[in-house]
Amino acid sequence: MGDSNVNLPPGFRFYPTDEELVVHFLHRKAALLPCHPDVIPDLDLYPYDPWDLDGKAMAEGNKWYFYSRRTQNRITENGYWKSLGVDEPIFSTSTDINIIVGMKKYFAFYIGEPPEGHKTNWVMQEYSLSDHSSSASGSSRSSSRRRSRSKIDYSKWVICRVYERNCDNDDDGGTELSCLDEVFLSLDDLDEISLPH
Amino acid sequence: MSKDMNLSVNGQSQVPPGFRFHPTEEELLHYYLRKKVAYEKIDLDVIRDVDLNKLEPWDIQDKCRIGSTPQNDWYFFSHKDKKYPTGTRTNRATAAGFWKATGRDKVIHSNCKRIGMRKTLVFYKGRAPHGQKSDWIMHEYRLDDNINPQESINVNASESSNQEEGWVVCRVFKKKNYHKALESPHQSSSSAALTMNSRSSTLIQKPNNDGVLDQILMYMGRSCKQQDIENKHNNNLINNINNIQLDDHIMQLNNTNSFINMSNRFIHLPGLENHHSPTNNMDDVSSLQLIQQDCCSFGEILTEAHEHRAAAGPVEMMRSGPSDWVSLDRLVASQLNGHDHVENITSNGENNNIYFPLHHHGLQLGQLCTNERPNDEDDAFSQSQAHDDDVDVEFWSYARSSSSSPSDPLCHLSV
Repeated sequence: MGDSNVNLPPGFRFYPTDEELVVHFLHRKAALLPCHPDVIPDLDLYPYDPWDLDGKAMAEGNKWYFYSRRTQNRITENGYWKSLGVDEPIFSTSTDINIIVGMKKYFAFYIGEPPEGHKTNWVMQEYSLSDHSSSASGSSRSSSRRRSRSKIDYSKWVICRVYERNCDNDDDGGTELSCLDEVFLSLDDLDEISLPH
Repeated sequence: MSKDMNLSVNGQSQVPPGFRFHPTEEELLHYYLRKKVAYEKIDLDVIRDVDLNKLEPWDIQDKCRIGSTPQNDWYFFSHKDKKYPTGTRTNRATAAGFWKATGRDKVIHSNCKRIGMRKTLVFYKGRAPHGQKSDWIMHEYRLDDNINPQESINVNASESSNQEEGWVVCRVFKKKNYHKALESPHQSSSSAALTMNSRSSTLIQKPNNDGVLDQILMYMGRSCKQQDIENKHNNNLINNINNIQLDDHIMQLNNTNSFINMSNRFIHLPGLENHHSPTNNMDDVSSLQLIQQDCCSFGEILTEAHEHRAAAGPVEMMRSGPSDWVSLDRLVASQLNGHDHVENITSNGENNNIYFPLHHHGLQLGQLCTNERPNDEDDAFSQSQAHDDDVDVEFWSYARSSSSSPSDPLCHLSV
């Protein structure tokens, strides 16, 4: 999955920022522009349980990415996604002015029937274009694009990123200091204190 | 070729959107460094050669940029050839400071085979020994010194035979400050915060762990060290660890803020001067669990303690046998002596008693009571709580209950 037409040397991975997901992938999808690289599959409305995404969604580092549609009904075969009530705005960093380009919502997966499901560790981040993204800025830079987009239903498309929370800690590949390293670092401080002479 | 140029680091175009150079350690060693030492061409100029002595860490991000996407870590090859005039150690000094190794090298495995080693270094501004520690961290990877010749005949034994020679591949990044992330959680929409992946967000969800533990371990390490220095005759670290006295101006050497922070967190922790004190007092239990929870973020060290947390009382947990402490012991031992005392420690581990009476007032590490204070029947809890004012802070000193004579508190550190 996701190999598509990307031909990169070893070590390159799909680790998009929120902004990239929204600006590059979601905007272009909504505007029916070609996405390059076209790595994120469209699963339409997602009837899949999160553990069934493997092989269907794009997988990278214990995370799965796919396009879907905005919906009120997030019921899957064995459960449902319930909003965690967290909405984060996604800002554009490409300009000095902070423009909100999209929103990110969090969902948790529950096994069972809606109100009485069992919460799991599966988390979904759903990225959507903000409805008022064009009104947030009057910059001329976006005005021409705004015109072409005005016919498009921005609210339709979303990108979902799904992951299981407890799998998260082992995918850093050493880009972080381990706890042990931190301890050693602290011990280094002691050297300087306790051996002043 | 033109396709490759399309992704060229130094050219105008870049890596496609959403993609980052996030090599695994195995990829770094097996693919990139192996090709480097074998003088094989690497398709893309992803990892550049750098003269470490001429490059300050804050310039690395420019020099080692890959494409135009935001990066949290940077990669380069470096050839280790410069030595300090006296000795065989690699000279990693720059104009503004120097890289100093910390901890012990970590073995990197691939499919259960050793393929290389990783050294962790920290950048200090200034000149040794007065350097000022920065947040810049470097992981320096080298191919394994001890690769079995039968296993891999053509792994450039000459280059990798001496760990102080030859090519290494390095990853540089800035240590993250989780406390800062906590204070401003809503900054997470900035791209830098976003690319911090799941791990950091997990950490954010369990606030305050790292700093506190850092401090605690600092003191634990400290006590170990001092004792070791003064008790050379006694090899057993656990037995050594007794009491420290820290006076105020030593405290000042530490980060005062974080210390205060820490003492606030433990403000409700009752004194536990007598390690035989009852542990069934619920209040005490719960405050001890506070510490346990903090401990839990130190997965590598205290996993075992974590697992026992539900079942065992807190003191039992801390005492639950050698396994909890073995890894900690090991690192302390290695820090002190450069070699392992593990067996030694393990064999004695079960006798350890741990107690951590704690008070918050004077910011002094207490004069140590030896654990042998026999059957002190005082109610240490209520007493120490009532005496919040004249206080010693004694963290995590632990001693062996079987040591027979209350040895003099040897380890006052006076500066």
